[in-house]
Amino acid sequence: MTPALENLQKQLKQLPGIGYRSAERLALHLLVSQPARLPELVSALEHAARSVRRCAVCGNLAEEELCPICSDGKRHGGQLCVVENVPDLAAIERSGAYRGRYHVLHGKLSPIRDVAPEDLNLGPLLARLAAGEVTELILALSNDVEGEATCHYLTERLPANGVQVTRIGFGLPSGGGVLYADAVTLKSALEGRRHYS
Amino acid sequence: MRLLVFFVAKRNPSFFIRVYPRDSRRLPVRFTKVTLQNFRNLPLAAVALAGRRTFLCGPNGQGKTNFLEAVGYVTALRSFRGAEPRALLALGQAQAGLGFEIEHETFGTSRLTVELAGDRREVMWEQGKVTRLGDFIGKFPTVVFSSQDSQFMRGAPSARRRWLDLTLAAMDPTYLAGLQSYHRALSERNALLKQGGRDAASLSAFEHELATHAVTLVARRTEGVAQLSDLFRQAHARLVPEGELAVLNYAPDAVTAGREAFAAELVAARPRDTMLKSTSIGPHRDDVELLLNGRPAKHFASEGQQRCLVLALRLAQAAYYATKGGVAPVLLCDDVLGELDPVRRGKFWAALEGDPQVIATGTALPDGDDASWQVFDVNAGAITPAL
Repeated sequence: MTPALENLQKQLKQLPGIGYRSAERLALHLLVSQPARLPELVSALEHAARSVRRCAVCGNLAEEELCPICSDGKRHGGQLCVVENVPDLAAIERSGAYRGRYHVLHGKLSPIRDVAPEDLNLGPLLARLAAGEVTELILALSNDVEGEATCHYLTERLPANGVQVTRIGFGLPSGGGVLYADAVTLKSALEGRRHYS
Repeated sequence: MRLLVFFVAKRNPSFFIRVYPRDSRRLPVRFTKVTLQNFRNLPLAAVALAGRRTFLCGPNGQGKTNFLEAVGYVTALRSFRGAEPRALLALGQAQAGLGFEIEHETFGTSRLTVELAGDRREVMWEQGKVTRLGDFIGKFPTVVFSSQDSQFMRGAPSARRRWLDLTLAAMDPTYLAGLQSYHRALSERNALLKQGGRDAASLSAFEHELATHAVTLVARRTEGVAQLSDLFRQAHARLVPEGELAVLNYAPDAVTAGREAFAAELVAARPRDTMLKSTSIGPHRDDVELLLNGRPAKHFASEGQQRCLVLALRLAQAAYYATKGGVAPVLLCDDVLGELDPVRRGKFWAALEGDPQVIATGTALPDGDDASWQVFDVNAGAITPAL
C-alpha cells in the first residue's frame, strides 16, 4: 500500500454505491490489471469535467449552452415537466411517452438535510412560467413528504397566468396485478382511480 | 454458523407444506412449537406447546418474560418491552435465531423463522424471505398483559398514544404509513423552527403536508378509539360487578376541523413554536383517557379498579384484532394472573372470547385455577416440562 494508492481508494470510496472493498478492487484493477487503459480514463474524466455543464434553461446536463432537449425544436413548448434530478429526467425520456420540455430542480425541499429553496433551481423555472409559453406544468416529483411540500411551495409561487398544474399518477406498476401490490400502493391507486371509458 | 432452526427447516421440507385444519370452526392463532437460540438469557430452548394453556413457572430473573418477548416479537417484529434489536442477543453472541410453528386460520400450519444479527433481522415465512415487513405486521397477532400495564394508565400520554398507534397499525399498514409521513413532516417543520422560523414560505409548504396527514390521523384515531371503546366497555362489564361503566375517550390535542383550519392554527402557533424550537400543537400530543363512571380513572379509580381497567383494555385490544383481522390473538400474560384474586381470575377466564391460546408466566401456578395448564419450569435460561 502506497500513499498514492490510498488516496485513489479514498477518492473512489466517495462515489455512490462504492464501499471500502469495491474501492480497493477498482484501484487495483486500474493500476495493476489494466494500467494501459488508465490514460483513456483520465482523459475521459478531464474532458467530461471541462465540457459538461448545466443547461442554461432547464438545468439538465449539457455540453453547449442548451441541452439536447431544449435545443430540439420538435418538442412541445406548452408542456413542462418538473423533476427532482437528472436521472428522473432520463427515466422519463427512456419511456418515450413524453414529448414536452423539462425542468430539473436538483433536489427537493428538506430542512432536515439543509436543503432550502435557494438551493433548488427554482428561479429560472418561475421565469420560464412567467414568459407565458407553458400551458401545462406537470409535477413529477416523488410522493413523499418532501416531494409533496416542494410541489406545494411551487404552486404557491406560480405567476397568475392560468397555467394548468397536474401531478403524475401514483399506483400499480404496469403489468403487475393487484394481488402483489402493498397496501399503501393500493390505497394510492384507488385514490387516483379515474373514469373508465 | 448456520443456526439450528434453519438446519431443521432445510432438512425437513415438509415444514413448508401447508396443512389446513379440517375443522371448519374458527380457530385462533396458536403456537405449537417455539425454538429459541441465543435469545437473551436462553441459550437454546425448544418448547412444544400442547393445547391452549401453557404456564411458565420459576423464580424471578430466570427467563420467563424473555420467552414471552420472543413469542410477541412475531406480531410487529419488535420487542414489546421496546428493546433495541441488539439487546435481544445473548451476551457475547453475534446472532440469535427464533423458530416458530404456528397454526393459523387462514395460513394453515406454517413455519416462521427470524434471524437477528446486530441491527439486522431476516424473516423467513413459508417458502421465502419476507421483504415487505409492512405486509407482515399483524399477521400473527399477540396481546401482552404485563404487570407494568398499570404504569401505562397513570403515566404520560405518550405511552397510551404508543399503545393506540401500535394497535391500529397492527391491523392497517396504511395507518402506519400515514403516521410515519406525519412524523416526517413534523421533523421538517421542527428543523425550520430550529433555523429561526424565518422562511415563511417553506414553513407554509411543510405545514400544508403536516395538516394533510394530521387530519387523516385524527379521523382514523377517532374511528379506532370509538371501536376500541365499545370493546373496552364490554370486556370491562364482564370483569366487574354491575354499576361500573368504563369508557375510552379520545382527547385530540388540536381541534382539527379540517386541513385548512389546522394549517391556520399552525400559522398562528409559529411565534411560540419558534421560541420553543418545536411544534406545540397536533396529533403528536394526543391522549387517550380511561374514564370510569365518567371520571378520569387515573385520579379516581382504586388500585383494584385500575387493575380491572387495564385488563379490560388488553382484552379490548385482543377483541379488536379478532374483529379486524379475523383471528383471535394469542394472549401473553406476564406475571399478571397471579396478582388477581380467585374471583377476578374466574371472571378473567369467563371474559375470554373464542378460546384463545394463553401463554402465562408466574413465580407459582395460580392456586384454585381450573384452567388445565401445561406447565414448564424455567430455571437459569433452561425451560423444561414440569414433573
